[in-house]
Amino acid sequence: MTETSRLFLGRIALYAALAAWAAFYLAPLAVMLLTSVKTLDDIRTGTLLSWPAALTLEPWLKAWSGACTGIRCEGLAPFMWNSVLITLPAVAISTAIGALNGYVLSKWRFRGSELFFGALLLGCFLPFQVLLIPMAQTLKALGLANTVSGLVLVHVICGLASTTLFFRNYYVGVPDELIRAAKLDGAGFFTIFWRILLPVSTPIIVVCVIWQFTQIWNDFLFGVVYSGLDTQPVTVALNNLVNTSTGVKEYNVDMAAALIAALPTLLVYVLAGKHFVRGLTAGAVKG
Amino acid sequence: MAALEIKQVFKNYGSVQVLKDIDLSIESGEFLILVGPSGCGKSTLMNAIAGLDDITAGSISIAGRDVTRLSPKDRDIAMVFQSYALYPSMTVAENIAFGLEMRKVPKTQHEAEVARVARLLQIDHLLARKPAALSGGQRQRVAMGRALARQPQVYLFDEPLSNLDAKLRVEMRTEIKKLHQRLGTTIVYVTHDQIEAMTLADRIAVMRDGRVQQFGTPQQIYDEPVNLFVAGFMGSPAMNFIRADVTRAGSGYGVAVRTARGEAAVLALPERGAGLGPWLGREVILGLRPEQITHVMPHRRDEPLVATLECTVEVAEPTGPDTLIQIRLNEQDVNARIEPRAQAPVGQAMPLMFDMSKAVLFDPATEARCH
Repeated sequence: MTETSRLFLGRIALYAALAAWAAFYLAPLAVMLLTSVKTLDDIRTGTLLSWPAALTLEPWLKAWSGACTGIRCEGLAPFMWNSVLITLPAVAISTAIGALNGYVLSKWRFRGSELFFGALLLGCFLPFQVLLIPMAQTLKALGLANTVSGLVLVHVICGLASTTLFFRNYYVGVPDELIRAAKLDGAGFFTIFWRILLPVSTPIIVVCVIWQFTQIWNDFLFGVVYSGLDTQPVTVALNNLVNTSTGVKEYNVDMAAALIAALPTLLVYVLAGKHFVRGLTAGAVKG
Repeated sequence: MAALEIKQVFKNYGSVQVLKDIDLSIESGEFLILVGPSGCGKSTLMNAIAGLDDITAGSISIAGRDVTRLSPKDRDIAMVFQSYALYPSMTVAENIAFGLEMRKVPKTQHEAEVARVARLLQIDHLLARKPAALSGGQRQRVAMGRALARQPQVYLFDEPLSNLDAKLRVEMRTEIKKLHQRLGTTIVYVTHDQIEAMTLADRIAVMRDGRVQQFGTPQQIYDEPVNLFVAGFMGSPAMNFIRADVTRAGSGYGVAVRTARGEAAVLALPERGAGLGPWLGREVILGLRPEQITHVMPHRRDEPLVATLECTVEVAEPTGPDTLIQIRLNEQDVNARIEPRAQAPVGQAMPLMFDMSKAVLFDPATEARCH
């Protein structure tokens, strides 16, 4: 066998292995997609991976606007909107504060700032379950129980540890001389942040937004505990939709609903995924 | 009035003293160079002048105004950083104008000022570019442009040439010198490169371990070093240090040397200050620069402090204009700088002329100058 043909066979084996792994990971998604466009009869008679006998979008429509989530039967649509109302401000605010925190902790060190940062890092490892009761009391005291603003507040607080970590590690890699030069030029605290640092922060902002968006959109724990009937996020509604059992179990609607709930995070990742990897490594190398 | 006056400045980091009793003063238009090995405190001193580091004790005045407690922006200074520190998101023009903008200079004046600086540094064609699209030398120019735009009392340069390649460094060195001569600005410049220090400075402060070892003109520092450290640090190739005994030489004093061939001689020393009486018969360190040991120049042979010795060439290093040869004296390596054509082959002897008029002596115990 010649050298080239051996290389060629090696390539084939490599790609075959990669394809097999990819198929393995994509299988659940394929099952969900296939099931969501099958009729109930089709599901009962066919196998998990069989091709739909007839394509139907009925389950998607029902999941969006007709399925029952508890006593309401309006589908996921209203809850999607709740999730948007919770997620967008929470992502924006936690990213903004994280950026400012990171700026201070990397470029305006003060006595004890390293200790402060260490304590903040603990927040990344704290299981959120321990917060449930004190947070509930706090929200009640603030009059924010069962409100969208209350959930935003919870998500901002719980996200700060990670967002601060992201920005702090990124800004540590920005040369201190830049800040010194700006100080000599006469720029103050906020001017330096706004004019010098923020314009070079795009990669880390993208990382932070994707991270926070995924965390907050996919959150179930806080959503189920702190929301009212009208303020439930889509994850809670999805759970209710799947668990509402009146007669037949509609697997196709469940699958469509799950896909609908997952679409926004997928979309964000597809749109900004390239920056995500770049930003993560940029922070990691110089941390 | 002094443009910059540093009085009894101390700086401690915890229990570590990094600046010890610094006293320096320069007049308006002078070019001061802080030079020393890394860790000598020169950058700390510069940061203290800029106000980027607080000092523990002492005072700093700029143009007669005490700025010790003022923030950097209120000190009327501009700084060129080693890494240039150009704002990456701004164009060259915006970089240069940023300081003006921060100081609320009217927008209409920005353009005129940017144009003036750009012409001065020949960076007109780069104004619309971002720093990432510039070469090292261009970035260096822009960094200087940013400092020049504000026309402050004092310019601070923190090792501005150390990131450039050798050729560009020499070019920019000349450029900075020209700029200083043309604009008559007051400059404080930090470097660890003693050639940069010699070529650029009006006054040099040689630092070591947080102390100013010597403060003077380049020629003073070169010819009259106050101690062994300054003598060894300034000059390339470095000054020869030869251990030798002080003896009588006629009516004056001299040092006893012995060549590798076993020939003993006394090299007469110039008369200076208090004389060498107390050192008679004791060992000193003779400091003699390589260019003071040369091939024989007949017209200088009869000068009073010139002696000729037969020495064996141990190593020869041609540099082009002249050749450095190594000989042995008192069983120590000694460098001499000679005319390339006068060199004898390695291993053979040749006559060398010792010009002792600028020879200096150091106390081996304290390393201070003793003659």
